[in-house]
Amino acid sequence: MNLNRRQVLWAGGGIGAATFLAACGGGDDTSAKPGKNEKPRRGGTLRVGALGRASAITRDPHSTQANESDYLIISLVHDTLTVPGTKPNTVPRLATSWKSSDDLKTWRFTIAKGAKFHDGSPVTAEDVVWSLKRLRGTPSGASRLPGIKAENIKAEGTGTVVLVSDYPNAELPQLTRLTTFVLKKDTKDSEVGKAPGTGPFKLDWFRSGNARLVRNEDWYGGEVHLDAIEVKIFENPQAMANALLGGQIDVASNVGSVAARTAEKRGDIQVVRRPNDMAMPIVMRTADGPFADAKVREALRLAVDREAMVKQVLSGYGTVANDILGTGDPAYVKDVPQRARDLVKAKKLLKEADFDLSKTYRLLTTEDVPGLAEAATLFASQVREAGVKVKVVKQESATFWDKTWLKGDLYTTYWGTNDSVVFFASKTMVSDSAQNEAGWKNTEFDAAYRKAMATKDPAARAKTLRELQEIQHESSGYLLWGMADGIDLAGPPVRGLPTLPGYGRVQLEQAWLAR
Amino acid sequence: MAGSLSGAEPAGGSTLPRPVPAFLRTALHLAGVLTRRILLLAVLLALVFAAVELLPGDAATATSERGESAADVDERRRLLGLDRPVSERFWDWMTGLPTGDLGTSAHGEPVADLLSRPFPNTLLLGGIALLLTAVVSVLLGCWAAARPGGAVDRSVSASASGILALPEFVVAVALVLVFALWMDWLPAVTLTDANGSPASWQMLVLPALALAIPQIGWNTRIVRAALADEAKAPHIETAVLDGLPRRRILTHHLLPGALPTITAGIATSTGMLLGGAVVVETIFNYPGIGSVLAGAVTDRDGPLIAGVVALTGAVLTGILLLADLVRAWASGGRT
Repeated sequence: MNLNRRQVLWAGGGIGAATFLAACGGGDDTSAKPGKNEKPRRGGTLRVGALGRASAITRDPHSTQANESDYLIISLVHDTLTVPGTKPNTVPRLATSWKSSDDLKTWRFTIAKGAKFHDGSPVTAEDVVWSLKRLRGTPSGASRLPGIKAENIKAEGTGTVVLVSDYPNAELPQLTRLTTFVLKKDTKDSEVGKAPGTGPFKLDWFRSGNARLVRNEDWYGGEVHLDAIEVKIFENPQAMANALLGGQIDVASNVGSVAARTAEKRGDIQVVRRPNDMAMPIVMRTADGPFADAKVREALRLAVDREAMVKQVLSGYGTVANDILGTGDPAYVKDVPQRARDLVKAKKLLKEADFDLSKTYRLLTTEDVPGLAEAATLFASQVREAGVKVKVVKQESATFWDKTWLKGDLYTTYWGTNDSVVFFASKTMVSDSAQNEAGWKNTEFDAAYRKAMATKDPAARAKTLRELQEIQHESSGYLLWGMADGIDLAGPPVRGLPTLPGYGRVQLEQAWLAR
Repeated sequence: MAGSLSGAEPAGGSTLPRPVPAFLRTALHLAGVLTRRILLLAVLLALVFAAVELLPGDAATATSERGESAADVDERRRLLGLDRPVSERFWDWMTGLPTGDLGTSAHGEPVADLLSRPFPNTLLLGGIALLLTAVVSVLLGCWAAARPGGAVDRSVSASASGILALPEFVVAVALVLVFALWMDWLPAVTLTDANGSPASWQMLVLPALALAIPQIGWNTRIVRAALADEAKAPHIETAVLDGLPRRRILTHHLLPGALPTITAGIATSTGMLLGGAVVVETIFNYPGIGSVLAGAVTDRDGPLIAGVVALTGAVLTGILLLADLVRAWASGGRT
């Protein structure tokens, strides 16, 4: 849920060696496509490259992980209560099942039988409660476990943890997917880096962001195939791609589309696409300013050429979107008619709204994630055809988040957690949400959101969620033109990599090596 | 003697009643230089703290997560101690220095831990690059100076100028492309072993070359120029007229005379090598201090930036001091 905005995936800078690699890939035509009915083989060490900055290294599972490398290591060593899945999008891990009260406020999580820490001691509800309270006590605790006060986290016997929410919350188990790492009760802050976890791998060593993890033979979650995983920290996606192409690592995690384009030309490299990985919407301020008129926003949504955006900005590694956020959610409505480019209608709407076409409007952006600034530039040239003059202004990251985000009239944003419609509603669209990026206030939407959160019956809930998305499609401040795929590269023998969006990519416990 | 900046006494004899022994003079001089350098370093560190303060945003906002409210960020600020005046934070940090305490990074890790492996790695890389620079540029400079105006001289000088204009990242990308990806002779990136050091010596080759090549260009020109200057000295002319062998003139007369200039040039290169490390380490994924610094600036991580500056500053001070010593020794009281 909390894609950290510092999750710098600074993939992409087109310069560098890999760009030239097409020339030296050789004519190897042997397909790396894994056979369908292969049986997982036991053994081997998987070398995984993951992005991270040496300055931002942290060992604490409850702190802010700005580094994917750290997050990867932590999630292999420690378990969260639940993990991301495809359908449903929340599946069991340390909690095997969960049940809510009828008012959807009280949730009981049952801890997996036989779950043990790496030192052999069993996982008790006390450990989980202590860990969740520790998480809640961090500065980001309130956003990671929204609506759950520390005193409302309790143990019931040794195997059940009870969370009581301040308000009905149908999606509470989803909140426990990404950060609820469990440590042993009373682990000292200074020992957190070496503390035993409950996860599929045990920490062998950690050094300057690099780590070696060995299989946990006693993992309650099923068989782990790999003997070991070595995580290598890379600051630069280009260097990571080079390491993969040179055979120094087996997987380049979240390496981006530039590297993928190069690798596609080499038959021996697997390009793993994880759809619905990142949203990069354009935000139009609805509260005031030039885009407050819904007709103007509709005009801009009609002026954008979505296919061209996906093709050029994402190198085709993505899909066209329909201005509704949360495309990875099983509850996402696919049958709302896809908005397509219609310059005639766009011009007509602008005229009706009496939009000032003589002015030049500033579109603020950053280079925080690859493609963001490129998207802004292409968008500017596209809407010009509808008569709207847009000038792209790139801001340095800190300035952007300080001055523009949540305040600007027209700016780009990005979210790496796209698997829930309600996530976006609660974070960015409900009138009183803390990160209402467009300053949007819509009473119908608020009502639909509250109803969805408090409805237990799946059919009734689905209906409300549909309503919620239709209102968003119609009038929110977002122009979501497309969704970027997450892209991992892997060497020929690698099998069983996750294809989930967002942080689903760190679930490597099913991976194995066919060699 | 006090106040002399050059390390050598003014010519024309001392007005002091009693001559001070040479070693004492040198020691006192060095102590003076050292004190000044340390003061300079302290001022530099104060400037670093001030500069971080002036950048937009702070470590609390830079390390926060999106879901955090203003109150959460304030709490983060309080935990990081950013609610206190910058002067106070600077004082705390400086008083921790003598005990080896470099403070805590914005991500909550001890700065000393974050730098304990990368710094030796950078020193190793920088040391190799410096050695390479010194040896190759002196050899090339001498080779060029052996026949002034000859074909070798002209081509060495021309290519040296060309190379020194190349930024490190161009050299680095070219090296990766040719030696790692085309030839497959050397690893493209540096991976780390369990100790946090480069896993094999081959991984040092390309990064060291990428750092050294532009500096070789620079220093070859300095060596060549210093030799040319020295060649104009009367005693060299005498030596040539005496018919001493060319090689002997070079090694026994020209080089010793040119040594102070050459040393100064190479010492200056140390700073540039450390600067270039920021870029080169990123391209080769070298586990050094350069990549730490780049990230620390993004995070407005004052203590971490200051930690890097303090360590590199200490090394530079050491190297410059060494250069002073060499110069003092080479000039041997000569002025």
